[in-house]
Amino acid sequence: MTSAALVAGLSAIGVGGVAAAGRATFRAGLILQAAGAAGLALAGFWAVAAGADAGSPFTSALDPRFGIDGLSGLFLGTLGLIAAPALVFSLRYLEPTGRGRAVGALTGAFVLAMAGVLCARDPFTFLAGWELMTLLPAAVILVARAGDRVARNTVFVYLAITHLGGAGTWIAVLLLAGAGAIGDPSALATGSGLQVAVALTALVGMGTKAGLLPLHVWLPRAHPIAPAPISALMSGVMIKVSIYALVRVLVEWTGVLPVWLGGLVLAIGAVSAVGGVVYALFQHDLKRLLALHSIENVGIIVLGIGACLILRARGAEAWAAFALGAALLHTVNHAIFKALLFLGAGAFERAVGSLELDRLGGLLRRMPWTGGAFLVGAMAIAGLPPLNGFASEWLTLQALLHVPAYGGAGDAIAGALALAALAATAALAVFCFVKVVGLVLLGPPRRQAAAEAVEAPASMRAALVVLAAVCVALGLVPGLLFGALAELAPWQASVPARAGLQLPGTGTLPAPGIAVALVALTAGLWLLRGRRSAAPVPSWACGQLVGPRLAWTSAGFTKPLRLILEAILRPQREIVVRYEASVVQEVTYSGRVPHLIDENLYRPVVRLALAAAGRARRLQSGRLGAYVAYLVGLVVVLLAAARVGALG
Amino acid sequence: MSGATVTAGAVQVVGGIALAPLLPGLVQHWKARLQGRRGPTPLQPYRELRRLWGKSAVTIEGTTAVYRLAPALAAASIGVAILIVPVAARAPDWGVGHDALALAGVLALARFAVAVAAWDVANGFALMGASRDLSISVFVEATLVLALAVAALVTGTTALPEVIAGTAGAGVWSQPALALGAIAFALVVVAETGRQPVDNPDTHLELTMIHEGPLLEYAGRDLAYLQWAAAARHWLVLVIAAQVFLPHPHGVWWQLALLPVTLAALCGALALAETLVAKMRILLVPRLLAVGAFAALLGIAAWLAASP
Repeated sequence: MTSAALVAGLSAIGVGGVAAAGRATFRAGLILQAAGAAGLALAGFWAVAAGADAGSPFTSALDPRFGIDGLSGLFLGTLGLIAAPALVFSLRYLEPTGRGRAVGALTGAFVLAMAGVLCARDPFTFLAGWELMTLLPAAVILVARAGDRVARNTVFVYLAITHLGGAGTWIAVLLLAGAGAIGDPSALATGSGLQVAVALTALVGMGTKAGLLPLHVWLPRAHPIAPAPISALMSGVMIKVSIYALVRVLVEWTGVLPVWLGGLVLAIGAVSAVGGVVYALFQHDLKRLLALHSIENVGIIVLGIGACLILRARGAEAWAAFALGAALLHTVNHAIFKALLFLGAGAFERAVGSLELDRLGGLLRRMPWTGGAFLVGAMAIAGLPPLNGFASEWLTLQALLHVPAYGGAGDAIAGALALAALAATAALAVFCFVKVVGLVLLGPPRRQAAAEAVEAPASMRAALVVLAAVCVALGLVPGLLFGALAELAPWQASVPARAGLQLPGTGTLPAPGIAVALVALTAGLWLLRGRRSAAPVPSWACGQLVGPRLAWTSAGFTKPLRLILEAILRPQREIVVRYEASVVQEVTYSGRVPHLIDENLYRPVVRLALAAAGRARRLQSGRLGAYVAYLVGLVVVLLAAARVGALG
Repeated sequence: MSGATVTAGAVQVVGGIALAPLLPGLVQHWKARLQGRRGPTPLQPYRELRRLWGKSAVTIEGTTAVYRLAPALAAASIGVAILIVPVAARAPDWGVGHDALALAGVLALARFAVAVAAWDVANGFALMGASRDLSISVFVEATLVLALAVAALVTGTTALPEVIAGTAGAGVWSQPALALGAIAFALVVVAETGRQPVDNPDTHLELTMIHEGPLLEYAGRDLAYLQWAAAARHWLVLVIAAQVFLPHPHGVWWQLALLPVTLAALCGALALAETLVAKMRILLVPRLLAVGAFAALLGIAAWLAASP
């Protein structure tokens, strides 16, 4: 049943992709792809629920094999769940021009490449799918933004960094295949050099693709310039496929890792979570801000994986399974609300023509459906009850709280610091999305275009509302999915499926009860409040009229935190005052928060590389005599080496 | 359900809803006395709530449902928080659980509702307050979770009734971990209740407001909800302080009997602190809270050193 639905879904996406390339069949092709993605979602989640494996098992041999098990099923299901609304959204978002048709067709190929990685059962197919998954979004961006020099430059940065880091993936997978450890955790001894090498290279390779600090620089550049449905797939699913690979390698194939590696994963997760959200807070472009939030959320997921590794090394297998379940639940949750937010941003961009936060405003009134769904997504990503982000953040907090309980002083401090980092991250995310909701949806429109925005067409609205409904549903009954996720751990762990979350040693999180209580109390208080109200009056600002000149900006709202973190972030500000006959004519202010890792890690490396290339270019003089001299020199050196015996 | 559980449940709900306004009233009353003024009676918050209840709400031009729903939503989240936080080692199952970490999420929802409404009215003073509140909340939340983590590690659970039972006894502070956790939580109490040195509840100067700022554009029952929510925040954090981080007796009846005394003493301590300490520069508040977070970290280390 699973394989039949899977094959049907994948072929529908393939055929739909080809059809989307034709002018007459463009919309039919997109609908067929969406239907195939829905089939993919059904097949994937069915594989999780039934726990039945299909196809071949994992092998270290190089001949192509395909199969599906619970973990693959979860990510395939998520892929389908995101791709279906994204493709429905594309129906009106993409125009059947040459460019739109190419994007529509490439979307199908991109989905198939990710499905290939998830279904691969041998190293060859896995790596082939991995490379395609990296290259296809680059192709989409180049097609969608043909002739845009900045975009071309960004795609180059994206490819360069993901390939430099991606080498780690190749090394890790080939080392595993060489040791015969793919699908066989007993092949690597705990603490052996090979095990540590595999884990570290996987962390670099897959961490780059997942957007973990400090290898994340490509992500906030590449995600915003893609068309909205592709951004949703990149942030929602592609970086999750790297999480899939990380879980496979770190949790499944390398067996029990030493504790310090778990600590390292925890530290990377904490830095990514806090770093991602802090820089997101100071962004002024909506899509770039959302992309940086992906780094934060991947950090939260990796915190869960780190807790899982430490707890497993300490022998607390039940809690290790809980931690893994928390990480996987947050993976699914983040995929859903991030896709919702990116698609919403696409709808706003289509309606207003800009995503500069200070040029939007008042869109909740102009676009109630899109705005309402976006508000739900913003509350979910901020980790507010009763939505899905809250449930998985609560589970991750609980998992981290149990890290100190099973180990020594090192574990305790690591766990406590991670706990503090996650709590601060959650508060920062609330801060950031208060800003986003306020600047985009509320207040007066800040530009004429925002004041004249019209609601998105029905297909785009439907995609957003469905994703928002999934956010609410998963927030109501997170326990139903969480039970199945904790059981995906390669060791035995059983969690009874309940609507709420019940873990031993916690106060339980009866999510449905909290949701019902919140809604009932709000409704009750709303009724008690009555409708009696004075005539509408303007907002009060010390007697002056609130006009556009008094409007608060993104930079103004985040200023207190920027000042508090000044010592770390080193924001730059510049004030230029123009005088004419010692009378001030004009004051211009510009401020920005430079990205520390870009400035201090990548800039010097790029400068050094360029300088080295400049030196090397002098060798290439283009004169025949110089090249002959190089050859003669080489021969002399080789002869000398042979004479000394250095060449055997 | 035993009599003790029913009584504890009744105290939890009636106290949280009806007695909460008395706590800020007591603080204001005693603060005035300490400063040599006669001051308002402790019942002043009730009078204000009654006055506001009879007045009509206002509508601000150009606002959406977000502005109108925010007071009800904020008060409802605080209401759920009251159901989560038990007053003794036993509490009835209200269907929302009794988890310490869930509390942080519910409080964040109340903060979100009020801050988002500030954007809806687009009033600079409201936004100033919201922006400061959210900036400080980053540090408050980290300290709160760490302080709760200390109590959870000592007692082996995050279920608040069991935490209260696990920390009971006169010798709470013989555990250095809990004593350090208490320091951290004390700073959380000051920040969450919006008292000096973090915020000045008496100020009527918009430029210095933090928690009052976003309330500027509300009137009538909307404002009543928000003022009640602020009072109920006092109840929530002071109950946790009294029953987890301060010495409290073992039996449920004794815990219930002593709770009013401890709460009154804590209000007195807040009044004294407000009299002695001036408001801090807002940019220095994170440093104060960092002291708390550091104390909690030390507490966790101390717990490890003490545990076998």
